[in-house]
Amino acid sequence: MESSDIQEGYQVKLEVFEGPLDLLLYLIKKKKVDIHDIPIAVITREYLDYLEKKERINLDREAEFLLMAAFLIYLKSQMLLPREQPALEETTDPRRHLIDQLLEYQKMKITSSLLRQKEDEQLRRWLRPFSPPLLPSEEEEILEVSLFDLAECFYFLMKQKENENFKTLKGREVSLEKKMQEILTLLERQPVLDFLDYLKTQDSLEEALVAFFCLLELVKARLVIALQESLFQSIKVWLRPDHRFEEVL
Amino acid sequence: MTQDLKDIIEALIFVSTEPLSAERIKEVLVDFSAEEVDKALEELKLRYQANNHGICLVQSAGGFLFTTRAEYDPYVRRLLQIERKTRLSQAALETLAIIAYHQPITNSEVAAIRGVDSTGTLKTLLEKKLIKIVGRKPTPGRPLIYRTTDKFLMYFGLNSLDDLPSEEEIARLLEEKDIEQT
Repeated sequence: MESSDIQEGYQVKLEVFEGPLDLLLYLIKKKKVDIHDIPIAVITREYLDYLEKKERINLDREAEFLLMAAFLIYLKSQMLLPREQPALEETTDPRRHLIDQLLEYQKMKITSSLLRQKEDEQLRRWLRPFSPPLLPSEEEEILEVSLFDLAECFYFLMKQKENENFKTLKGREVSLEKKMQEILTLLERQPVLDFLDYLKTQDSLEEALVAFFCLLELVKARLVIALQESLFQSIKVWLRPDHRFEEVL
Repeated sequence: MTQDLKDIIEALIFVSTEPLSAERIKEVLVDFSAEEVDKALEELKLRYQANNHGICLVQSAGGFLFTTRAEYDPYVRRLLQIERKTRLSQAALETLAIIAYHQPITNSEVAAIRGVDSTGTLKTLLEKKLIKIVGRKPTPGRPLIYRTTDKFLMYFGLNSLDDLPSEEEIARLLEEKDIEQT
């Protein structure tokens, strides 16, 4: 574990800890105290000593360490206060949440070290790097595109269309609702819609723009799935199996 | 006959760069029964386990795949002129472990377990395609929910999420660690 490399009293590096929980676990181990019954006063002192050894705290990266410090002090004060109902002590232990969090985090640390072992093993195994000449369509890598990708694809299409007389705006009004209905009707008739092809059938830039907004709306409303196999490729659109129209129309 | 089938399957796995599932093999080999294919697959697995080849047959992300033997990594790297493959950061690994066990999970749920903001790490993992967004949680703010991908399974050489260490295994390892310290 990286944390064991740190020498006490030596230069303090918070960077080696993944977060305040990591630092707390380290201190609990160092002080050899029981994680299920943390002596809050001792651990809080250790924790604060640790932070104080640091010359400066980078608030962007290390705000969480300060938050934990504040929480520990709060816990300490809670522990000092006399309790009204000692019978309920078990259930109202103010440390409960922190202990649960530490136990969960400790489990995750173990798991991540197991994953690291597997990673090291896998990194030494090599796969054949080339692709077969013809990939059947089922095996194409499918990725769900972000709105950003869609916008990029639209930009690409507009670039393609630049040379054509495409930018003349006709005075026709195109309504978003109508267009959305049109796309949905198309999708009900055919399983998959090639969006680039669809855009090409639009008579004006305005219509193409509206169609594109519609696609964004439909993706947002989770009525359709839009997929792009790679950058600057066309976008394939199909209905989500569980779509419900009334949400949007 | 069975001998032939084993060799056919071997050829199919060889040409696949993605894990080839038993279902897909059965789809392709319509002239053989599902039982025959399963039997041949088992025999093929045994054949690779019994003999030392430079490559091994592994089950990863729900399919079969050939990889080189880990021991031969230095030679392969020499051929490909690759110094070393980069490993994931500790933060990325922790975040992945949390997502793997708690999926589907949101950014703030990950952060609650790690005790630190994990937005940047999630973004890196998304870029590496080790996790994916599967939708939004119907709670205030409609936060995105994440899951691990098949690439995650492949990256760690897991056949399915069931291959992840169980609660008992983790508990045992924790105990072992405690004993080491005392």
